[in-house]
Amino acid sequence: MDAEQKHIADSGQFLTQLASRISYLADVIGDSRWYALDTLLEEVTFLRSAIFELPAKELFRRIKVLDERISILEDRAAKEITPVRMVNIVRSVQRFTLQDILENIYDSFTELGGEEDCNIDPAVVVARATISRRVKKKIYRHQVMVIGHEKGMGEEYRNGGCAKPWGNDKALRYMKVAETEGIPIHFFIFTPGSYPIEDFPGAAQQIARNIYAMSKLEVPMVSFISEGGSGGAEAIGLADMRLMASHGYYSVISPEGAAAIEGRIREGQKVPRELIEKCAEQLCMTAEDNLRLGTIDRIVQEPPLGARRDDYDFFKRLRFEMIKATDEVVLSTKSFRAFRAYALRRQVKKHPQDSTDDFGVHISWNLSDAEIERLLELRSQKYRAMGQGYIELKKQTIIDTSTLKDKTKETISRLYYEIKYGLLKPQKKNVQKVLQEVTGEGAAFLSNITEPVKAAVDFLAGPQEGARQYSDEAAQISIFNREWEQYVSPLANEDRTVSCPNAAKYGCLDLWVPDLYGEFCGVCPACGHHFPLEYQWYLQNLFDAGSVREFNNHIISGNPLKFQGLDARLNRDVQRTGRKSGIITFKAKLNGIKIVVAMPYSNFRSGTFGSAEGEKFIRACDLARTRRRPFIAYIHTTGGIRIQEGTLGVIQMPRCTMAVREYVDSGGLYIVVYDNNSYAGPVASFLGCSPYQVGIRSSRIGFAGPRVIRETTGQDVPPDYHSARNALMRGHIQGIWDRRDFRKNLYDALQTMGGPNLYYK
Amino acid sequence: MDLNLNELLRQYHANPYEDHEICTPHTGIVTFKVTEGQHTQGPSGQWLHKPGTLLFILERENNPKRITAKCNGQVAEIRHEFEGKFAEAGTPLLKIRHRLTKDEIIDRILTEVLTVFPAPQKARYYLPPDIASQMEKGGETSISIKPGDDVLIMSLMKRDTLLKYEGMPGIIYKVYFKAGDLVEQDAPLLGICPPENVQFVQKIIDRIKNEWED
Amino acid sequence: MKKERVLIANRGEIAIRIMMACEDLGCDYIVVYTQEDRHSLHVRRAREKGPEKRIYRISSYKDPNEIFAVADQAGATAIHPGYGFFSENFRFARRATLRTRPVTFIGPRWEVIRDLGSKINTKRVAKSLGIPVIPGSDAPIYSEIEAEALAEELFLQQREQGITSPSILVKASAGGGGMGIEEVKHLDTFRRIYRRIQNYAKRQFGDEGVLIEQCLTDYQHIEVQLLCDRHGTVIHFGTRNCTIQSTGRQKRVEVAPGFDPSVCNYSFDAPKVLDDITNYSVKLAREVGYDSAGTWEWVVTRDGSPYLLEVNTRIQVENEISACISRIRDREDIPVNLIREQIRAAMGEKLGFTQDDIFFEGTSIELRIVAEDVRRGFAPWCGTITKFEFPQEPWARLYSHVPMDKPYDIPTEYDPNLALAIIWGENTEEARERAASFLLKSTIEGKTAHDEPIITNLAYLYDRLEDVLQF
Repeated sequence: MDAEQKHIADSGQFLTQLASRISYLADVIGDSRWYALDTLLEEVTFLRSAIFELPAKELFRRIKVLDERISILEDRAAKEITPVRMVNIVRSVQRFTLQDILENIYDSFTELGGEEDCNIDPAVVVARATISRRVKKKIYRHQVMVIGHEKGMGEEYRNGGCAKPWGNDKALRYMKVAETEGIPIHFFIFTPGSYPIEDFPGAAQQIARNIYAMSKLEVPMVSFISEGGSGGAEAIGLADMRLMASHGYYSVISPEGAAAIEGRIREGQKVPRELIEKCAEQLCMTAEDNLRLGTIDRIVQEPPLGARRDDYDFFKRLRFEMIKATDEVVLSTKSFRAFRAYALRRQVKKHPQDSTDDFGVHISWNLSDAEIERLLELRSQKYRAMGQGYIELKKQTIIDTSTLKDKTKETISRLYYEIKYGLLKPQKKNVQKVLQEVTGEGAAFLSNITEPVKAAVDFLAGPQEGARQYSDEAAQISIFNREWEQYVSPLANEDRTVSCPNAAKYGCLDLWVPDLYGEFCGVCPACGHHFPLEYQWYLQNLFDAGSVREFNNHIISGNPLKFQGLDARLNRDVQRTGRKSGIITFKAKLNGIKIVVAMPYSNFRSGTFGSAEGEKFIRACDLARTRRRPFIAYIHTTGGIRIQEGTLGVIQMPRCTMAVREYVDSGGLYIVVYDNNSYAGPVASFLGCSPYQVGIRSSRIGFAGPRVIRETTGQDVPPDYHSARNALMRGHIQGIWDRRDFRKNLYDALQTMGGPNLYYK
Repeated sequence: MDLNLNELLRQYHANPYEDHEICTPHTGIVTFKVTEGQHTQGPSGQWLHKPGTLLFILERENNPKRITAKCNGQVAEIRHEFEGKFAEAGTPLLKIRHRLTKDEIIDRILTEVLTVFPAPQKARYYLPPDIASQMEKGGETSISIKPGDDVLIMSLMKRDTLLKYEGMPGIIYKVYFKAGDLVEQDAPLLGICPPENVQFVQKIIDRIKNEWED
Repeated sequence: MKKERVLIANRGEIAIRIMMACEDLGCDYIVVYTQEDRHSLHVRRAREKGPEKRIYRISSYKDPNEIFAVADQAGATAIHPGYGFFSENFRFARRATLRTRPVTFIGPRWEVIRDLGSKINTKRVAKSLGIPVIPGSDAPIYSEIEAEALAEELFLQQREQGITSPSILVKASAGGGGMGIEEVKHLDTFRRIYRRIQNYAKRQFGDEGVLIEQCLTDYQHIEVQLLCDRHGTVIHFGTRNCTIQSTGRQKRVEVAPGFDPSVCNYSFDAPKVLDDITNYSVKLAREVGYDSAGTWEWVVTRDGSPYLLEVNTRIQVENEISACISRIRDREDIPVNLIREQIRAAMGEKLGFTQDDIFFEGTSIELRIVAEDVRRGFAPWCGTITKFEFPQEPWARLYSHVPMDKPYDIPTEYDPNLALAIIWGENTEEARERAASFLLKSTIEGKTAHDEPIITNLAYLYDRLEDVLQF
């Protein structure tokens, strides 16, 4: 074959490349006719078919022109990368996938839990892998667990990287394996979101379990986000170091989804393109936005139009970044500060810009027990601090002496409780241990000696509140004596009737509204259907009269991303409710038992969680921990994460879960009660992770509503898909409570689950 | 089995319509929402969770109730004199001319083929709980019965009586009533098919399916 | 009272009796009926009264929305609930009173219905007034120790009274209608039964409260008829004996007065017992501010101990036997009609007579004629009545919704009560003889859909006449 012949043959390959560059451009722009891309593609097709007909010279000239034009367009496109185009880049079939990462970054890997389509969930890939670094010609290998989403190269069975609930369960299983083996985990997030189905273990419940486990997983974790779709991303996203691809997106919702909500677009109608673009911008979903917001730690730079499968330089850089990030996580746990600083400086100095594979220093990724403790401490601090700068506090123009006094009181009491439960705890434990050993030997005659010690322990542990016998006052005096003194819903003040939605099935008669919302507590007496009641009803009827004390009312819902239109809506809700956030946190008593309650409610932005709501929840959790009180999350309604706060909303999932985990680990009793509607992020994290979850009758619990399920899975779900009954059947909740028995059931739950101290430790 | 299927089908072809009279379920003030000649649709969706065409609103004690169509058809006759007026319970308000569907034709023709268990008395009828739950799980044709089995509960003057099946052993092929319905004496309650006839019945169904266009 | 329009929210003979009382008072009325009842006499009678629209078809007698919708449409000013249905439903009475267009509820104030509707509450109030109630708990018990102590005491008390086989009842406090009740005959078995009932109550009603009371087995069922107005007048109309009941505790033969020592031997001072329970009833009525017609139900054991059972805050089926033996001084020529007086009281009128004006004369017996098979557990019968004939006597009144001039299908939706016969005699002996002859001269014919002849309780009633007033 002579040179020209070979050249022509190469041209064929080159033309194929040109075609893929054109289609990639079309993907990125989202328009196949942008600057006549379509005619360029026609030209490529023509040249390919005419490759042996055209004179060689003519062929080469036309290819060159094409190449130049495409290059110009690529430059132009690279300069105009808008958020929507980033989304397009991430969704392009030409973008690198986890498969490319496994092949190019790790030396060897073994896929776990299935391969290809023979897999419990092909959208989630887990591999045991080695990654190596060169230090002065010497190769060191690290063992790691790689967990990520595989979008595949167009294979249907990969489901576009949407993890099924059991896929996330697989991820969790291997996180625990890594923990057992003491090896770091590298997470790679390539998901538009989780597959929103409720089949066991359930989308939301499983994500919640993952986040809960990750919050205290005893190995270093580094995550890398290319496509971070809300809850699906968080399922494998809570890491000690979070990297993000420069052309990736990390968002609370897809721009299309946000646009459909913002524009109140009816199902099946087309969402205007401008609205999608606007939402993409407002959601602050790019790597730079996220870095600015503090929801990620570092950006990994990609080529100008984003990295594709064959961008080997990028893979090299990513490999360097993953090792470096893991190093930093490990080093941050070393108490040897000097060594830490030295190692980091050395690394930075030697390789200021470029990534090479010579690290100059080897760092072992094994951690000692003390280091693990530090790792967890740092992780806790990291998430506690995340996004805190965006929380709005009510400005106090007048110095309120009562709040000052409260503050002092608060500090003193906190100190008191810390001493009571914190400092004395180890000693108390020891005493108890001795006691157990003594009684274990059956040395009854020792009781004279041990009794005083035991008394001391009892004194320190405080009176055994829970052991008191409960006798409901209502049973002693006629119910009628109290009936009209109770709070009655304002809904009852109308002379009209309503029909029960189950009338066709159970023949329920129309209900007179004053009866329904008064005496019947909003419950149909024939079938037990619960009509929604306002949150005030619960404040008045659930707890001991006058015992509700709200706190942290100065933390108010804001608009950290300056999302257009949110301010007005917040204002409207403030006017309407007289409240400043979508959650009420308060101390209360239930038959004398002191409890802390967090209660998102429907009238304020549908009980969605933003920074303020998350912070209030965390502080309530902390208060319950320091005071050693049961913590009740009563969900009057939550619509999920407040999308207008973007990822600042999303990070409330790991943040609040961290707080809940620490509360439960310290021995706290955490009970979640769902009412009305509870959906999305909160259920998929700090609510769904509770060991005790119950639903109020007629409530709906789930991950995504029917419309989202229809749009993502193409399937219709039955009208009762999210009913409490089905949630119980699937094992997501542990019981269904009647509203009229709420108080009694909650009291019983505190007694049985709480044990004598209402705190299991 | 003697059955002139052709003749039956010819009759239904000649007049495939049935007039459904829509009455007020209870008292109230009527506001019509349809006009004569308008086409109506019954409940739809996979779980029949989308209500049918709104026919009229019946307002009683400040509760405007939406009365919707239970079947497809065409509004044939409206008693306009009730527009805006108080109607007593059970007042006929309009007629829907309904073209029988394939499934309805099959049901009707099958009463000639199946062994029918008729209502001994005008009463309310229920399926015994075990049969009802088995049916819910295994589908309508999952129950086989033999003489002496308790197959129905008849509720008369607040008293429940178990009814025993006396006919040939077979499977319950069709249930003609809804639980708790008031059924007139001698109206069919169950259609039973002996196992050896199942194929024959299936053949008839297939033929009707082929020959009847919805 | 001309302007009043009473909506009669009931069916059958009581609807007819209320209509008659309204006509007596000169006030208009409105009748409701269901499709099944379209041939009932109560509909026909209202239709025949005049051209004005008086009858309304409704979907159910039990749907309050239908009653109020018709009340507004027809411009009713008051609602008479009769007995059953809404008669003791305080929510219905409350709604009638509190709605934007109020309607007078012909019955006591709703608060009274509510408070006396709770047996526990009634028992507690009665106890506080020194009125005897069945020994036992007057509030739900939640503690086993407390329950055992009470059970022990109840057994001891019965032994002291010389009861040879004492027993107690353990009931779920939230239950009713015979569910969750067990009898304990030996103290040793108490704990097990108590726990069983407690678990049952918890499972069934979500409230593990349990009631314990002495089990009475040998007693007579005596009632005191009261009539009160909204101005503090409390008058009683003597007593009735309603001991003869079907197995389902449905009354079949009632007699007024409650005891008659002239024909029966009692081991106790019967007039004194009747006086006592009457006085107790009046005392409780005054205490709660009772303001309508009502019945105080008592049991009297073989040794003559009375216990208050409950209060029925409505007009009862058998009210007329009390009216039948009552005379009001200076108006002896007008028969006493308690329904009429009840309506007057509800409209706020003063009764206009006192207890001193009331005296009694003779004995009255009520016979409830029902299509039922007494030998098969009082099973209801249904079918078509073809002949329905009763003797005309000056001492007998008959109330029925069944037309006598054409065949009548008994509606299967309701109890097959056919007629009430009220018999009066100068003394118990005469009343009994007259009742017997009345029954013998009554003819009811009919057949079922399968051509089987009608079954009624005429023979049963005849047989039971002998037992009247006997312990």
